[in-house]
Amino acid sequence: MTLNVDRPVPERRKLAAKPFSKADRVFFGVARAAAFSAIVIVSLILVFLVSRSASTFAEQGIIDFIFGSTWDASLSPIKMQLWPMLWGSILISLIGTALAVPMAISIAYFIEFMAPKRVAKVATLIVDLMAAIPSIVLGLWGAFVFTDVAAGWSKQLNALFGWIPIFENNSDNFLRSPFIAGLVVTVMIVPIIASITREIFSQMDRDIINASLALGGNRESTLRKVILPTAGGGVVGGVLLGLGRALGETVAILYVLNLVFDTNWYQILESKGGSIASMIISKFGEAGPEEVGGLMAAGVVLFVFTLIINALASYIVAKAQPWRK
Amino acid sequence: MTLNNSHLRSEDVNVWFGERHVLKNVSLEFPSNQVTALIGPSGCGKSTFIRTLNRMHELIPSAGFGGKVLLDGEDIYGEGVDPVKVRLKVGMVFQKPNPFPTMTIKENVLSGLKLSGRKSDNASELVETSLRRASIWNEVKDRLNDPAISLSGGQQQRLCIARSLAMDPEVLLMDEPCSALDPGSTRRIEETILELAPQMTIVIVTHNMQQAQRVADQTAFFLAEDGNPGHVVEFGRTEQVFEQPIDPRTNDYVNGHFG
Amino acid sequence: MEKVIDLTPVQRPKGNESAPWAKIELKTRAAVVLASVVPGAIALAIFFATGIDFMAMLFAIFMPIQVVAAALVGILVYGRRGILEGLLVVVTIFFASFIVVLLFSVLWSVIDNGSRAISWQFISQNNYYIKPNTSLDYGGVGHAIIGSLLIVGTSTIITVPMGLATAVYLTETQGKTKGIIRTLLQAMSGLPSVVSGLFIYAAFIASGITSYAGWTGSLALIPLMLPTVARVSEEALRLVPQELRNGALALGAPVWRAFMMVTLPAARSGMVTAVLLGIARVIGETAPLVLTTFAADRTNLNLFGGAMASLPTYLFGFISMGFEESLQRAWGAALVIMILVAILFTTARLASRTRSQVRK
Repeated sequence: MTLNVDRPVPERRKLAAKPFSKADRVFFGVARAAAFSAIVIVSLILVFLVSRSASTFAEQGIIDFIFGSTWDASLSPIKMQLWPMLWGSILISLIGTALAVPMAISIAYFIEFMAPKRVAKVATLIVDLMAAIPSIVLGLWGAFVFTDVAAGWSKQLNALFGWIPIFENNSDNFLRSPFIAGLVVTVMIVPIIASITREIFSQMDRDIINASLALGGNRESTLRKVILPTAGGGVVGGVLLGLGRALGETVAILYVLNLVFDTNWYQILESKGGSIASMIISKFGEAGPEEVGGLMAAGVVLFVFTLIINALASYIVAKAQPWRK
Repeated sequence: MTLNNSHLRSEDVNVWFGERHVLKNVSLEFPSNQVTALIGPSGCGKSTFIRTLNRMHELIPSAGFGGKVLLDGEDIYGEGVDPVKVRLKVGMVFQKPNPFPTMTIKENVLSGLKLSGRKSDNASELVETSLRRASIWNEVKDRLNDPAISLSGGQQQRLCIARSLAMDPEVLLMDEPCSALDPGSTRRIEETILELAPQMTIVIVTHNMQQAQRVADQTAFFLAEDGNPGHVVEFGRTEQVFEQPIDPRTNDYVNGHFG
Repeated sequence: MEKVIDLTPVQRPKGNESAPWAKIELKTRAAVVLASVVPGAIALAIFFATGIDFMAMLFAIFMPIQVVAAALVGILVYGRRGILEGLLVVVTIFFASFIVVLLFSVLWSVIDNGSRAISWQFISQNNYYIKPNTSLDYGGVGHAIIGSLLIVGTSTIITVPMGLATAVYLTETQGKTKGIIRTLLQAMSGLPSVVSGLFIYAAFIASGITSYAGWTGSLALIPLMLPTVARVSEEALRLVPQELRNGALALGAPVWRAFMMVTLPAARSGMVTAVLLGIARVIGETAPLVLTTFAADRTNLNLFGGAMASLPTYLFGFISMGFEESLQRAWGAALVIMILVAILFTTARLASRTRSQVRK
């Protein structure tokens, strides 16, 4: 038996890791078909919406449609322009996300690193349940329970900080403002972000936290130097997911926002704002075919926007968690 | 050692993971009805090699393979050979006992048949025979319908052996079957191996040199030096490999100078 | 000869030398207790004494005092760098409490207001002759519940096999397009619900294939449900240890049998969770249904025959009618939705708990 391994190495073979028997081929085929249905669905959505709205884009002009400020269905020819709504969606989502992030991370931190085991379990359950509150229920609460309270806060903010442009209010009407809508959005997305963050925290290797503590770190420095850098990427991804969700919020803010086709850039306490999703559903009932085309075009713009944000989120999360293949 | 009688034989087996060449030109004979041990330090490719013998290796993404493995003269990597069928003839027991948790003891023993779509003519007889051959019948005969995970580690491993035996394989591959077990269970399993040897060909990967000396007729010593692919340094009758090794590296390993 | 073993305990050193860390503990604990209670007490005292607005008191008086107290405790325990430590604790608890209060407000208002509307008659009757200001002794959400069950049920029947098969593709195969599929699922999960409604409207209703109907609503819910089902199923399958699959394959099983007989049973409870969470996700979705199924007053059992009521569209319809009674109906519907969601969630939790008990 010769043990000299310096013989020439035989050629590398193609391995049949592919399914061999017919039943296996069917199995893999079905799985692949189902997975590809995801591609199909997303493509179909884009195809149908774009085709239905193509004429709108053509007539209104894409740039004008996205960045113009007039939407009047009574004009002939009809004029439809999206910017006040688009900016309104962005503004409200930013407010909502900015407020939601510290709260969500606080809850996640509390559950994972501060609370005793049993409290943590209950809290996790509650947070996950909160994430399932349908947006229309939140809309109901927002319109009839929360609005007056939030208007009160707005008044206080305006009284104390009205000199800052954001908190200006010249109409003395604090109801149905981007601020209130933003707060409702916050309540909507905090559980989502908190859930994701808590999951990331719980999957962190406890050993590195123990190492930090053993080296003399306290709670805060461990958070700053160990937890956030490690979990940061995933948390950012979760935040972006929440942001994406916020952009699409329809009925939650429909009743707490005054849709006005006059861009409200930064006066979040004023009673005027915009949201593409809310606009679509509120105009849908009485829209004629032309206007419906415009609503579809608005939907396309919104979807593309959320696609970009979600792609960004996926990318960041994947970069931050390369071990998940 | 004659060449023609061999049941299982590998010819110039080479393994890659992606671009990394991890096993080079491994040519070994595994004579029928004998036990062959594969020894060597961690990371030298023994477990990788044993997985080429039942075509489990290719389940790993980026796996690459070259060479031949001949079972009864036929290359199991040949065109048109169904890897699934190969595994019906070449069974495997893993390092960590892995009974199926959703099944009872009895169901576990019969699971191989169910999984390959075969029916058994006499299920209870097969169950008893397999469990006897694995030296665990007496301990479980009264609780065949208990969940398999209620057994201890050593018992679970013997159950896994019974499960493989129920398929009546020609070759049984064992990848460090005792390394997760206590010494008592280890002894039981080594006894089982010795009892089974006359009925089939057994290839066992082991870290434990005393175990190799206890159960194996032949021993192959694997080594991977300094970023080079693993290969077989020495292969021969166990007594000779351990007491009068030809290669100085074998000498160093079996005398505990490294590894 | 018996050996006598001396069992008298060794004398422990007393006084300052024993357990030197214990003393500091006591000091710290006292300080923490004080810092937790005193600021609140002071703030409340001022609140009651001066009648200042609650929120103003909270932010202008309670917060600063609490922050200072926490910082002091931090300094006590860790020295100067402990200031941030104290701040962290206070900030965390504050933010967490704030949002918890808001969320509980939501739950409470639904339960409180909704329970006034709930009755057996509310759940079983429909709205055929009900005007917006009819008293709540008449009519109910019966038709909406049935409609929701039909619509969501149909979506479930279609989505679950798709989601499961997608999860199988992502975990059990070695396809090259896995990354793309995952990205697309992620993209789908960001689909605004109203856009999904628009899509189905554009594809089937605006194109003239049909007018409002229950099945179009089911279709609109699918892209909203699929990512959840696929993701949770994938997680469940990932949790099945690879050794189980290896064991099955080593016995000579083709992949599909290894999956059906070993992997899937082992992931069973995770699968159940996936389905339940998927249902919970869409059962309250309003916008897609408003655009596709419209709404109805009475029970419609025909998914292909015209508009169908559902709990979310019922709520949607009544929320803006302006009458006290309509509003109460809306709260009632909200409570019914929340109860259903809670049931689904609890069942999902229980299912996943049995999973963790199967492993020894």
